[in-house]
Amino acid sequence: MFDIMTVFESFVEILKVVPKTLLLALIILVLSFMLGAAITYIQSLGIPVVKQIIGVLQSFLRGTPNVVLLYLVYYALPLVSAWFLGLFNVTLDPSSLNSTAIVIVTFSICYSVFQSEIIRGALHSLDKNQIEAAQSLGYSTTQTLRKVIIPQVMVEALPDTMNAFLIIIKALSLAFLVTVVDIFAQARLVGAQSFSYLEAFVAAALVYWGICVILTYAIDKLENRMRRGYA
Amino acid sequence: MLNIEHLDLSFGDSKVLDDINLEVHKGEVITFIGPSGTGKTSLLRCINLLEKPDGGRITLGGDTYDYGSITKKETLDLRRKTAMVFQQYNLFKNKTVLENVMDAQIVVQKKSKAAARDKSMAELARVGLEAKADAYPHQLSGGQQQRVSIARALAVEPEVILFDEPTSALDPELVGEVLKTIGEVAGSGMTIILVTHEMSFAEDISDRVVFMDRGKVAEEGPPQQIFRHSNHARTQQFLRKFYTASH
Repeated sequence: MFDIMTVFESFVEILKVVPKTLLLALIILVLSFMLGAAITYIQSLGIPVVKQIIGVLQSFLRGTPNVVLLYLVYYALPLVSAWFLGLFNVTLDPSSLNSTAIVIVTFSICYSVFQSEIIRGALHSLDKNQIEAAQSLGYSTTQTLRKVIIPQVMVEALPDTMNAFLIIIKALSLAFLVTVVDIFAQARLVGAQSFSYLEAFVAAALVYWGICVILTYAIDKLENRMRRGYA
Repeated sequence: MLNIEHLDLSFGDSKVLDDINLEVHKGEVITFIGPSGTGKTSLLRCINLLEKPDGGRITLGGDTYDYGSITKKETLDLRRKTAMVFQQYNLFKNKTVLENVMDAQIVVQKKSKAAARDKSMAELARVGLEAKADAYPHQLSGGQQQRVSIARALAVEPEVILFDEPTSALDPELVGEVLKTIGEVAGSGMTIILVTHEMSFAEDISDRVVFMDRGKVAEEGPPQQIFRHSNHARTQQFLRKFYTASH
């Protein structure tokens, strides 16, 4: 029997992990953005071998399901970090690696590829003319970057980046595979306690949807404010 | 006041500017004319180092800079003594008219906001656009945008303003207001180097006209000489073609 009260109770239980899920998604968003910016920058330099290597990596990350990458990192990261730290004579107990860290590393790498595309697109939308205007007035490279390029690229990249944020929040539902409790994992736990899985998942869906609606609204407002009057 | 010696510029194998020498006095209006692709715009862009010449020297405001060995700091220093008005206006599209005019004064010249605002409003009044201070560039006509960019150039009080075909991108009916503004700037004693295809305007406004051909100065002199009594075959040919094409 479907019980609306149980949905409500599950909803309240699930809400408790929303801040943690959002924080996790935010950390991943920021890291993947930074990594994506680095990729864009390195690719723009066009260094022969490096360019090809990054190209292959991008294609690999794009062509592999997140869940496979998550398991890959889950099993490989302890080995790799133990080996790496071993170089400095530091011993590491592989089991001490935090699963949250594994989730952050995996998803940051996964989404850096997409962030890189977003940043590249935004840079393309910026016309070179304004950069020349700044240079002609004696702006230094940093001043041009800070006053002319970044403010405009940020606005251009905002909608896609925030879209990526929503995708990350949803993708975090895979995190329970490595024991990190996000919204979805919490729904499973809540459902398991009283065998009311249907109610728990209905509640989870509502929570996800609610987050999406609120964020979309906030981002629209923010974008309008950042664009102010300009087209 | 501005002195260019032996300026050379190449793009790859092709020589764009070949041993250019030019002296400009304070308050003088120098106009460059000539066929497309002869390096007029490139020369202008070499003066503020948007293009880096292969060699030569420039003296501006008492300092001499060697193009071959110019440092980053010298580049900024040189650029801060000049301002440029571009063919496509090149306004900052995310900033209002007032912010466009103010920004360099705050960022580069480290003026206070209040001082920059006062200066900017005065320059906007000068180009007749103080009423548009809070508009964004895309809300203005091309002619108005170009006048804002002239105000932006004036506001940094440069030693010289470089005008790069300032009316070429404009609809014909908007050319007049921009030429009128440039004329007023010239009348105020500002030193101007202008590249234009507006021949009768060049004749009116210039103290000296330079005819360029294939990367070299082919002829220079007072406007009457260049436009009316040129004894240089290439100049005559160019002007004849120009007048038959446009009239």
